[in-house]
Amino acid sequence: MTDINVSNPTEIKSGTQGSSLKAKIDKGRYFLLAPGVLWMVLFLIIPLAMMVYVSFWTQTTFAVNSTLTTKSWVTFFSSETYMNALFRTGRLWLTVLALTFIIGYPVALYVGQLIRSETLRTILLVTCVIPFWTSFLIRVLAWRPMLGKEGAVNIVLQKLGIINTPIEVLLFTEVSVVIGLVQIYVVFMVGPIAFMLGRIDHNLIEAARDLGASTWTIFRKIIFPLSLPGVAVGAIFVSVMVLGEFATPAALSGRKVNLLGNIIVTQVGSLKWAFAAVVGVVLTVVMALVITALLRVVNLRKEL
Amino acid sequence: MMELRGLEKSYEGNPAIQNLSLSVMDNEYLTLLGPSGSGKSTLLRLIAGLEQPDDGSIQLEGEDLDGRPAYMRNLGFVQQKYALFPHMSVFDNVAFGLRYRQEDPLQDASEVHDRVSRILELVGLLGYEERMVGQLSGGQKQRVSLARTLVCEPKICLLDEPLGALDANLRERMAIELRRIRAALKVTFLHVTGNETEALAMGDRVVVLDKGRICQVAAPEEVFSAPTSIDVAKFLNAYNLFPGRGELDGFAYSGHLLPIKCDARQAHFYGIRYDHIRIITGNDDGAGFKAKFLASEFEGARIKYLFERPDGGVFEAEMHLGEGDPITLTPNEFYEVSWDPKEVLLFDTSGELLKSNARGEVAK
Repeated sequence: MTDINVSNPTEIKSGTQGSSLKAKIDKGRYFLLAPGVLWMVLFLIIPLAMMVYVSFWTQTTFAVNSTLTTKSWVTFFSSETYMNALFRTGRLWLTVLALTFIIGYPVALYVGQLIRSETLRTILLVTCVIPFWTSFLIRVLAWRPMLGKEGAVNIVLQKLGIINTPIEVLLFTEVSVVIGLVQIYVVFMVGPIAFMLGRIDHNLIEAARDLGASTWTIFRKIIFPLSLPGVAVGAIFVSVMVLGEFATPAALSGRKVNLLGNIIVTQVGSLKWAFAAVVGVVLTVVMALVITALLRVVNLRKEL
Repeated sequence: MMELRGLEKSYEGNPAIQNLSLSVMDNEYLTLLGPSGSGKSTLLRLIAGLEQPDDGSIQLEGEDLDGRPAYMRNLGFVQQKYALFPHMSVFDNVAFGLRYRQEDPLQDASEVHDRVSRILELVGLLGYEERMVGQLSGGQKQRVSLARTLVCEPKICLLDEPLGALDANLRERMAIELRRIRAALKVTFLHVTGNETEALAMGDRVVVLDKGRICQVAAPEEVFSAPTSIDVAKFLNAYNLFPGRGELDGFAYSGHLLPIKCDARQAHFYGIRYDHIRIITGNDDGAGFKAKFLASEFEGARIKYLFERPDGGVFEAEMHLGEGDPITLTPNEFYEVSWDPKEVLLFDTSGELLKSNARGEVAK
């Protein structure tokens, strides 16, 4: 308004009034941000900063004091046990991520593309969530009688004559942890992918078919690329949850498979705050890297 | 070139297309005009192979297309909402058919590049190759969609309301473009529309469709000046139609006896085009009556005057400003409206145009 050259003085006056009002509204906007900013500072920024700070504290057997030292960091990176836990966490995370994708994508494809009725689609997605109506612990522990040496899987396989001796690697190994994690988290992969697939305009597929593309080409060139944002969101969900896991590995590996999360639990349990903070920082950095990498693959802001 | 014979299609018992036969010629611009629900989109989908007819056959250059999937018909289909692939650039969109069709895909990247460039030049989008679909305007999307279909060199290009999603200004420019592009490629266009002005302006021939049947197939001028049925006349939105009865010496309508030039005792409807009506003072030797003036609509190059009909309906007279200055009428005053009885069209009970019409000519 102010850049218009007006000769009438009253109009100039109203113009400046208008712009000062606009400035007021601009300032007012920042107040709207305040509650959110306050929340984030109180419950995210400060705790994160505290965690980094505490990780440099000096740890004695039963106490921790605020003298700064890098001792906990040195211990973490020079200990074979902890480095193994870091690599194991990475390995399990990648395995679970791959399996949830391989199992989840076809399910999502069926729900999102082959089911055209909106109602049926919702019903099927709700069905996927039904296991969440029972407690997390029960879902995890229920795998024990399934996978044990004399568990359901072994009994059925033996009765069918497929195996003679029970498979022992099924329980209290990395395999059982992977099975448990995949079963719990696969639905977080299915949901976002099915959502993206459901949003694909059917006309696009018709157009591609009309141009002579085969079903496989249409999947490769149209459907899959358009579902990638869903895959990225699903992968972020699964990654964040699997990387921070401690209950499932503890319950299904008999405490043999320790992830970073389990180490934090143990260290906090024995009041090793500084060391737990180191592991916490490492875990946070790993998660941040993973999420950044996934967001690099797919530009979510553009796609959603 | 393409023959449709006795096509039938119904959805859950509701007939959408009934016993429809049509010849489509080589290198022509054919517009398919019909109100919504007339079956025009169904017909397009039948031809494209997106739906199967219940009965009848479609032949392209003597070959039966029955049961052939869309991509083997050598037809192109331009969808109403463009259906561009949002994750691809303009170039990749246009090249899609050439690269990924099942039959004889083009492997040679330089040939793909040449053909895509040529078609983009034709639709006026050279230099836009790397743009993403989201960065294009409506008109540009329309051109990409057209280019994507035409680059595969179909024998017939089917267009489903191609101008429907564009605003008025753009629609006129795109209409001219469509005709130019078609003429340059010498491909047959089958253009479906619900807009009578568009159908008449664009088509070499116009097919008027109503309730799943063809009402008339003719050149635009002929459809406009001699609609073969009252449905077509209604749909053109250019005729005043009076119900009444043909007498020996005229047409009886709501207490008036309108003169006609021939014996038309079978006539049940009397039609006169908006632009043939004059508003006069006093008397002339034409047909007409006194009518109450309601309102006028200024439409740029022409003005529409709305009158109340003797039987209560609305009656329109149209005046083109090129023929004279607009006249000012007072609402609710009665004026004499008049027309030349030679311009009158008569329709029989079933709504068919009478062979021996009021002009004393034989209608085609």
